[in-house]
Amino acid sequence: MPATTQELGAVSGVPETPHRHAQAVAVSAKNWGWRHADRTDPALWGLDLEIRAGERVLLAGPSGAGKSTLLYALAGVLEEDDDTYSTGELLLDSIPASRGRGMVGLMQQDPETQVVQARVGDDVAFGAENLSVPPEQIAARVIAALDAVGLHIPLEHPTSALSGGQKQRLALAGILAMGPGLVLLDEPTANLDPAGVLEVRDAVLAALDATGATLLIVEHRLDAWAEHVDRVIVLEPGGGISCEGTPEELFAPGPVRERLIASGVWVPGYTPDLGPLASAPGPGATLLEADGLSVARTRGGAAVATGLDLRIAAGEAWCVRGANGSGKSTLALTLGGLLPPVAGTVAATGDLASGSEKRPYRWRAAELVGRIGSVFQEPEHQFVTNTVAEELAYGPRHALAPGTRDPLFTEEQIDARVAMLMSRLRLGHLADANPFTLSGGEKRRLSVATVLAAEPQILILDEPTFGQDANTWRELALLLREELAAGTAIIAVTHDTDFARALGAEEFVMETPPAHSGAQPHRNSPGLLEADVRGGASFLGQVNPLAKLAAVALATIPLVASMDWVSSTLVVLVTLLALPLAGLTIPRFMARAWPLLLAALFGAWGTALVGIDSGAVLLDLGIFTITQGSVAAGAATGMRAFAVAIPAVLVLFTTDPTDLANALAQKARLPHRFVLGALAGMRLLGLLIEEWATLGMARRARGVGSHGSAAARLRANLGQILGLLVQAIRRASRLAVTMEAKGFGTTERTWLRASVYGRRDLVVVGAGLLLGTAATWAAVALGTWNLVWG
Amino acid sequence: MSITKKPAVPKTATTSWRIVDIVIAAVIAVSSGVIFWAWNSAHHLFDIMFLAFPPSSALLAGMWLFPAVLGALIIRKPGAALFCELVAAMVSSLMGSEFGLTVLASGLIQGLGAELVFAAFAYRKFNLPVALLAGAGAGLFGGINDAYIFRWYHAYTPGMLLAYVVFMTISGLVIAGLLSFLGTRALAKTGALGALASRRAATEPILR
Repeated sequence: MPATTQELGAVSGVPETPHRHAQAVAVSAKNWGWRHADRTDPALWGLDLEIRAGERVLLAGPSGAGKSTLLYALAGVLEEDDDTYSTGELLLDSIPASRGRGMVGLMQQDPETQVVQARVGDDVAFGAENLSVPPEQIAARVIAALDAVGLHIPLEHPTSALSGGQKQRLALAGILAMGPGLVLLDEPTANLDPAGVLEVRDAVLAALDATGATLLIVEHRLDAWAEHVDRVIVLEPGGGISCEGTPEELFAPGPVRERLIASGVWVPGYTPDLGPLASAPGPGATLLEADGLSVARTRGGAAVATGLDLRIAAGEAWCVRGANGSGKSTLALTLGGLLPPVAGTVAATGDLASGSEKRPYRWRAAELVGRIGSVFQEPEHQFVTNTVAEELAYGPRHALAPGTRDPLFTEEQIDARVAMLMSRLRLGHLADANPFTLSGGEKRRLSVATVLAAEPQILILDEPTFGQDANTWRELALLLREELAAGTAIIAVTHDTDFARALGAEEFVMETPPAHSGAQPHRNSPGLLEADVRGGASFLGQVNPLAKLAAVALATIPLVASMDWVSSTLVVLVTLLALPLAGLTIPRFMARAWPLLLAALFGAWGTALVGIDSGAVLLDLGIFTITQGSVAAGAATGMRAFAVAIPAVLVLFTTDPTDLANALAQKARLPHRFVLGALAGMRLLGLLIEEWATLGMARRARGVGSHGSAAARLRANLGQILGLLVQAIRRASRLAVTMEAKGFGTTERTWLRASVYGRRDLVVVGAGLLLGTAATWAAVALGTWNLVWG
Repeated sequence: MSITKKPAVPKTATTSWRIVDIVIAAVIAVSSGVIFWAWNSAHHLFDIMFLAFPPSSALLAGMWLFPAVLGALIIRKPGAALFCELVAAMVSSLMGSEFGLTVLASGLIQGLGAELVFAAFAYRKFNLPVALLAGAGAGLFGGINDAYIFRWYHAYTPGMLLAYVVFMTISGLVIAGLLSFLGTRALAKTGALGALASRRAATEPILR
C-alpha cells in the first residue's frame, strides 16, 4: 500500500533518488528452523513462508516467537557452530540467506548500537565501504541517502549528538547507501517517543517508495504501521506461522483479533480493558513537596528545568510529560532522592518525614528504599542479586528505620512479602532463575516488584510501559491501581497517555527548553575521545596521526633511555612551545595535563624519599632521609615522567580516533577488522560512563549504598562493575550484529576517507627526530646523560 | 520441544575471530578504561598509603592488568589477552595517561605475560589455575617491564626493584586472575555471554 502524498510531503521533498538500487528481493522459507547455541528449545521450527519482491510485511507475535531470529537469519548474521541447530532452507531470491551479503539491510531497536562511526557521513558510508563500492560513488550515495531520510545535517556532525529518532534515521540512511533489495526492521521505534516513532516511520515509507525494496518489519505496537503494510504475519512461539492476512482481515473484530489480543499483541485501536477506576478516596496527606526546584542531570551540572513546584499526596497518581530533553527523568531522579536539587527544595512531610532529615537525597540508601521507590526504565540496571527470590528480599532485608540502625522488617514479614509478590506477579516458577535471564516482560514485572517489596510510600517509575506487550501493560496498570488504592503515591514519567488515563493520573507537563532543537540529547561528555574542535583545526590537526605518533616516539626515546633532567627539560620546553601548533593555550593545556603533573610530583617525592642518599640531609624521617642527592634524583625522575607524558597530550588534543583508525588500517596495514572493531567499541565509551552513573543511582534506589562493612562496600562496588560489564557486552553484541549486517568483516573494503601522507607529516616526523637527537646531544654535552640500564 | 537433529555442516569452534568477538573484546577493554576512570579519584589516596614503602604500590597494579585475563577468559581466542590489554592501554592513553605513549608498550608486554600462559594451554583451558597463572604472568611481565626495562623506579635499590616485581605478580594473580575468573562466571550466569565460546563458563569445573 503506497503512502499518501500528504504523508510524503511531511518528509519534505523526498527526491527522485539517483540511487542505483538492486532489484527488490523475494524471501522464501521452506521448513526452516533454528535453535540458538545457549538455548534448549528452538526459536523457530518448521517455518514456511513466501514474501514477494517489493511486498511490505509486518511480522507480529508474542515475545519468544522467534521474530528477531528470523530477521537475523535473513540478514545473514546468525552463525552456525557446534551448539546451534538449523533445518530447512531460507532463501533470498534463490540464494541462501547466509550468503546474501549486500542484498539486505537490518535495523534493530537500540539506537545507540545502530551507529557505528563517530561522524554522520562516515556512518552512512560504512556499509557501502564494506561492499567495496568505489569511494566516488559512496560520496554521492551518502548525500542521496541522508536526503531520502530527511536528515539535513553536516557530514562532519558527531553522531553522539543526535537524538534517538535521528540515530534511527541515520541507520536507515546507512542501509539505503548499501542499496539493498530487502529492508529488515526489528522494532525500529520501540525505544522512541511518539514523535520519534512517526519521524522514523515516515522516513522508512518514503525511502521504500523511492527504492521499491521489500520490507519486513517486526513491531509490538501496530498502530503506526498497520495501514502501510500489505500483509501481516503472526508467528507462534516455537513453531511456524499462527495466522496471516491483510491488516484489514486480521484486525477486523472477530476471533483472530481476539486471539492476537490474548497473546499480548498490540492490535491497532486496542487498549486493555481494566474496568472502571475505583472512585478516588480523595487526596490523602501530603508526603513530598518540591518548591522552586531546579534539577540537573549530574551532580553539579547545569539545570535542565527550573522553578518546579509539586505536591505529592498519598494515594495520588501523577504523570510527568514533556518533550525529550525537557528534564522529565531528571525530575524523577531528583524527587526520588537520587540526585541533589540544584536550587529549591525537595522535602518529605507528614508520614514520610519521620526522622530529623527531610531531604530524600540526604537519606541513606537503606532509609530511602522503605520510603521512596524508584523503578528505572531499564530493569537490568536495578538487578543486584543472583536469583529472583533474593532480588525480591533484598530491599526489605536492607531497609532501615529512618535515623536508626534498626531493620524495618522482620524476617517473617520479609518472607510473607516476597511470597505474596511472587504469586501476585506470577514469578513463582522463576524463584531460582537469574534475573538477567528472564524475558522482557518478566524483567519489567520483577523490577517493579523488587521496589514494591520494601513498601515505599511513594513509587516513581520512568517509562514503565516502553517495549512491553499488552498483557504486561495490563498487569502493570492493575498492580499500580492496587497500590494507589492502598495509599501509595505514584509518579510516572511516561508518553503513554492510555497508561496515565488507566491510573487516573494528573498531568505535570514539563516546559520544552527554549533552545531545544531535538539534536542535543542527554550527553554529558560527548567527546571524551574526540579531538577538540580547536585542536582539529590546528596545524597538528591536519597532520597524519601516524606521523604525530612517530614524532612523539622519536622524542621519547632519549627520555626512556636516560634518567637526566637536561633531556627531559628540553622535551618539556619544546612541547610547551609547540602548544600553539595544537591550538592550545596554557590554561587549556593545564586543564588536561594537571593529573600528569600531579603524578610526576608523586614520582619525584617517592624517589626523593628512597633515593640513594648523598650530600646534606634536608629532612630525616627515621628509616628514610631526604638529602640533596636524593632530591636531585627525585627532580630528574619527576621531570622525566612529565616529559614522557605531555607530548602525548598534543597528539590527543589534535587527533580524532576515526582518523587514527583509518591511518592504522590503511597506512600501517593493521587488519581493518580489529582496528574498526576496536574503534566501534571505543565509541561506546561516553555511553558507558553515563551508564556507570545511572547504575549508581539505580542501585541506590534498591538500597545498595555506602553503608555496612568494608567488605559490603567492596561487594557493592564489584556488583556495579559487573552491572556495567553486562550492559557493555549486551551493547557490544548488538553493535556487532549491526556491523556484520552492514557487510563488515570481509578481506577487502574501500575507504571513503583516504588516509594520506603530505609534506607536513614529513616536517613533523623530522621535528620529532631533531628533538630526540637534540635532547640526547644536550644531555651528553652537559654531562648529565645517565643511561637507565647502566 | 527438544531437537536431536545434527546440522548438515557442523562447524567446529574455531580459533578465528568473529566480528562479535572483536567488538566485545574491544568493549571489555573500553569498559576497563571506564573502571580505571572511576577509580582515578581514589587512586591518588592510595598513593599516599604506599609512601612508607613505595614498591608496595605495585600491590594495586593488578587493577591495570585485569583486561588481559578477563578478555581472554571471555573471548577464548588466541590474542585476546594481548588485544584487550593493548586497547585498554590505548583508551587510557587517549584519556590522558601519566605514562604517555609508553603505556602502549607496557600494555603490549603485560598482555603478552597473560597471553603466553593461555597459549601454553593451547587456548583450551580457562579454569581457575590457568586464570591465576595468567594474572601472575601479566604481573610478572609488567613488573619486569616497569622495574628493569623502562626503569621508572631508577632510584630503587635492587632489593626494592625485586620487591616491586614480586608485589606486582601477587597483585596480578589476585586482582587480574582471581577477580577476572569470578567475574567471568558471574557474567556467564546473566546470559550476557550467550554469543561467545565462554557461554557455559558458570557451570564448567573450576579446577579441571
